[in-house]
Amino acid sequence: MATQKMTRNHPPLSRRNLLAGAGGGFGLTALQHLLASEVAAAAPDRSAQPFAVRAPHHTPRAKRCIFLYMPGGPSQVDLFDPKPRVSAENGKPLPFEKPKLERTKTGNLLASPWKFSPHGQSGIEVSQLLPHLASRVDELCVIRSMVADNINHTGAALQMNTGEQAFSRPSMGSWLLYGLGAENQNLPAFVVVSPAAVFQGAQLWASSFLPSAYQGTLVRDMQSPIANLRVPSDDFKRQRNKLDALRQLNEIHKQKRVINSQLDARIATFELAFRMQQEAPAAFDLSRESKTTHQAYGTGDPTTELFGRQCLLARRLVERGVRYVQLFDAPVNNAWDHHGGLREKLPSRCAAVDQPIAALISDLKARGLLEDTLVLWGGEFGRTPTAEGTNGREHHPFGFTMWLAGGGIRGGHVHGATDEYGWHATHDKVHVHDLHATILHLMGLDHKRLTYHYSGRDYRLTDVAGQVVQNILA
Amino acid sequence: MPKSFYWKPRHSVLFGVMLASAIVVAAENTAEEPLDPSAVRPSDDQSLRFHVSREQRQWWAFRPIDDPVPPPVKNTTWPRNEIDRFILAQLEPRGMRPAAAARRRQWIRRVTFDLTGLPPTLRDVQTFLSDTSAAAQARVADRLLASTSYGQRWARHWLDVVRYADFHDANPAKRTASCEITEAWRYRDWVVRALNHDLPFDRFIVHQIAGDLLPIPGDREFYEDGLVATTFLTNGVWDRGDADKEKIVSDMADDQIDTIGKAFLGLTLGCARCHDHKSDPISQEDYYALAGIFYSCHMLADLGAKGGEYHVNRVPLAPSAVVARYNEELEKVKQVENELKELDKQSPVPAKDDPRRLALIAQVDKLKEKLPPAPPLAMAMQEGGTPGGLFPGIQDVPLHIRGSYTRLGPVIPRRLPRFFAGASSPPITSGSGRRELADWVASRDNHLTARVIVNRVWQWHFGEGLVQTASNFGLLSQPPSHPALLDWLATRLVRDGWSLKKLHRRIVLSATYGQTSSVSRKQGVRDQENRWLGRFSARRLEAEVIRDSMLFVGGRLDLELGGPAGDDLNIARRSLYVQTARWNRNNFATLFDAANPDSSVEKRVVSTVAPQVLMLLNHDFSLDQARHLARRLLDGSFPDDPARLQHVYQLLFGRPASSEETAIGLQLLANSNQPGTLEAWLDLAHVLLCSNEFVYLD
Repeated sequence: MATQKMTRNHPPLSRRNLLAGAGGGFGLTALQHLLASEVAAAAPDRSAQPFAVRAPHHTPRAKRCIFLYMPGGPSQVDLFDPKPRVSAENGKPLPFEKPKLERTKTGNLLASPWKFSPHGQSGIEVSQLLPHLASRVDELCVIRSMVADNINHTGAALQMNTGEQAFSRPSMGSWLLYGLGAENQNLPAFVVVSPAAVFQGAQLWASSFLPSAYQGTLVRDMQSPIANLRVPSDDFKRQRNKLDALRQLNEIHKQKRVINSQLDARIATFELAFRMQQEAPAAFDLSRESKTTHQAYGTGDPTTELFGRQCLLARRLVERGVRYVQLFDAPVNNAWDHHGGLREKLPSRCAAVDQPIAALISDLKARGLLEDTLVLWGGEFGRTPTAEGTNGREHHPFGFTMWLAGGGIRGGHVHGATDEYGWHATHDKVHVHDLHATILHLMGLDHKRLTYHYSGRDYRLTDVAGQVVQNILA
Repeated sequence: MPKSFYWKPRHSVLFGVMLASAIVVAAENTAEEPLDPSAVRPSDDQSLRFHVSREQRQWWAFRPIDDPVPPPVKNTTWPRNEIDRFILAQLEPRGMRPAAAARRRQWIRRVTFDLTGLPPTLRDVQTFLSDTSAAAQARVADRLLASTSYGQRWARHWLDVVRYADFHDANPAKRTASCEITEAWRYRDWVVRALNHDLPFDRFIVHQIAGDLLPIPGDREFYEDGLVATTFLTNGVWDRGDADKEKIVSDMADDQIDTIGKAFLGLTLGCARCHDHKSDPISQEDYYALAGIFYSCHMLADLGAKGGEYHVNRVPLAPSAVVARYNEELEKVKQVENELKELDKQSPVPAKDDPRRLALIAQVDKLKEKLPPAPPLAMAMQEGGTPGGLFPGIQDVPLHIRGSYTRLGPVIPRRLPRFFAGASSPPITSGSGRRELADWVASRDNHLTARVIVNRVWQWHFGEGLVQTASNFGLLSQPPSHPALLDWLATRLVRDGWSLKKLHRRIVLSATYGQTSSVSRKQGVRDQENRWLGRFSARRLEAEVIRDSMLFVGGRLDLELGGPAGDDLNIARRSLYVQTARWNRNNFATLFDAANPDSSVEKRVVSTVAPQVLMLLNHDFSLDQARHLARRLLDGSFPDDPARLQHVYQLLFGRPASSEETAIGLQLLANSNQPGTLEAWLDLAHVLLCSNEFVYLD
């Protein structure tokens, strides 16, 4: 049997642990009880029990993570990083040397068409395009000094999600599952929700050389979220009969094969799957939410319906212990890639996500989940303070904005800055590797110790780089 | 490893300059010990800047391959061939004994799955059980190795190593992009053919690295297999195009160097892209000496416009006259189509039934009818650098400081890796150098190549290699459990004319391979990982084998060879012909741990997760196969349910059902809502297809 060399110690498996988090009824209370009683058990064999809960390296500040991903690259100059100087010199050329490599000819400075104003006690400036989010700004830590290395969507999105620009590497969600296991065995632990096909496809949530169990589960259609889950309800009894016979036959088969722990694991997996069939549809069933909740997320309004449903689903999933949820705001491919039509398209994207995101933060907070749920917002890069054509902005990885909220995050804080033209990050630069190191840190993992031995060397999410950004921690 | 490279460096230019000079300084000062002139001689370009340590020089995998004499053993009755003596010589001093021989029905099941990826038929089992001669096993092995299913099975192993995919996009309607790899399947078919014909492995290597440069058979204009085989180099993963074209070109060369290193040499050559290799004697100069070879050939017809997609090279596999005639006829079609387009630009636009329009449409139809079939195409590698790139010709390339093409160092002459090929190997001066590289990789004097493939074959037979990291034999790997056996097998491979079939035969006819997997707990605990091979390691079948077996027992499996991959899981073809698409990994094969087609995979992992079980329980494919199996059992051949039950156990597991199993099965039939019907048997068939015995091989 192929087993992987693990660089973390793993004492022998315990079956008790495999079944933990899976017993009994599945009301939310029972579930929360299970989550609360989660013990940092001895780490079992990943091959037999890939999702068993594993002890973190240190006490985590967050147990779950939601990445609100805006594919295409949202414009920080119009949303979170106001630049009066750009407005003052609107239409003039950028007053310093242009980059060696540019996608298209760098245009002249383009003033943001939208006003910024300070909000909350922190007084953080937010664009008029995001009024709902502005009202929650004291929860946010806005990083204005993000830097990435690639100017194209494919490479940049790969880097944002896997740490590497060109070659196949495990995604951040896969690393989290590998490092921590799953709190709830009856649901997929890493869920990706994207209504439209994603430009870069499965590479963004791939497990790469980690076991394929750790890859993200893609949900395109929120009505039938998980493959092969549909069984007409009247067939449960029939299926139960089959599973009972199967278990007996498998036990007989096992008797003569005393040294194969995988046989036990597979027997248990049939029971897990049987329970998943019962629990998963409920987890994805938004009709169980109150009218008030639906209103808050804007699921009844055509503008906010799609992302509102995605955000509401994210809350239902993290509430049930799903480790990592990534929402793609993707009514179409690369919806935030505003090379043209900026004045029309950016307001419409903002209108679609603003209220749902604000509602998600409030809802998580009201339920006490924000304390240990990390929320992350951004795209693969930002956009140039200069114009592309007359009404667009180019890709910009040299200084852009992302924000974090929730578990372990210093709310109401701005970290880092770009120069007065908004081109280069100049203060407290945060590279993608640093962001990844910080997220792992908040989740209780040391990015230098979370390694996987593959093809002769240890790999990490952060490759050979990455520093935890201490200043953004609460 | 290929460190991600920064086209916009994160560090200042000044830092870069400091770093560059630091490299030189370090190179002059950090000798671990004086260079042994017999091991590595400075080349005439005097640019040798890194030093080979004693440890590196003495590393087992870099030493010549031995021809050891099989060791003496105490138990002289157990060994059936030399392999067994090497194995026993490690067991005996540890106080361990080999396990008993597997039952004969177990052995034929094991070897049939192993060599063909399919279960044995009832007749195969009967024939073998009634053949009491000493040559019975050899007859089975020879029959299986001669079947075309062998090539289909073993091609899949090789495709894992070469990061094979049929397509990028899973959706057939979206495969129009110029970067799509629609011709990849010809390579897969070539691998199947090569294995079935037992193409000597050294020739197999040369075809893949430099097939386009092989002599063309006298009566042909081109050598089809040679062209197709180089798809090995072109079926990789990189950015789809867009703006940073030079990065794409350097990533392609890197993928090619990395894959050749891992697949054939067990060396992580790609690690030297940005700096000297951290543990193995591969300098960054060695890397750029190889890179020059790959910068001097191309797999793209052109890079495409900035922001747009590139065009993959597609070489016609037809005589030039045929291609010319096709292009001529196609041109005529295009001309008339253009005239049609012109019509639409007129104002007012002529009506749908305008006679001019109708005439043109009729003309297009007529021309299309006359159009000869499009010539087949191969995604082949060709000489000369990427047109329109920084290095468009046949040339040496500069060292890329920290792996970035934006910071170039001195030009490095094209040549083979200095430590491994010997300092005397001359710089390459004519052609890209792929031919020289291929000949060196495939040479019997190369200390790595034969060891690496023998170890892979061993791993595919036993589940674990003698060296556990099949694609890395460097200093970071664990030395082999049985070094003498590895060398003995490598020597035999070369002496046998690099015949893989002879290697398989030696292995499957050994007593080592013939051991049972069922041993007492006490025996098992002695050597939990089974490194010393005192038993056979039971294993879960691979994704493809599970699917093929389900189709097989339902009597539906289509064993036909070759052709483009199908898109639908429900087709009856072998899984080798169900598409592997890079951008969609939500599929049966991935679920059951098939290789990730984005990079070279040395060994699949085995996971056991609920979605696999949901698929087996609820997916139409699974239920359909259960239904076919149930129908087969109810076709009137059997008098009653107990007879059917015995038959299905023979069919699926190659053994009779016990009385306990019979009782459980009959009980399930009786519990059905519709006892005595197809529905009842559907349930039992389904249970058996889901059982551990169906997916685990003893």
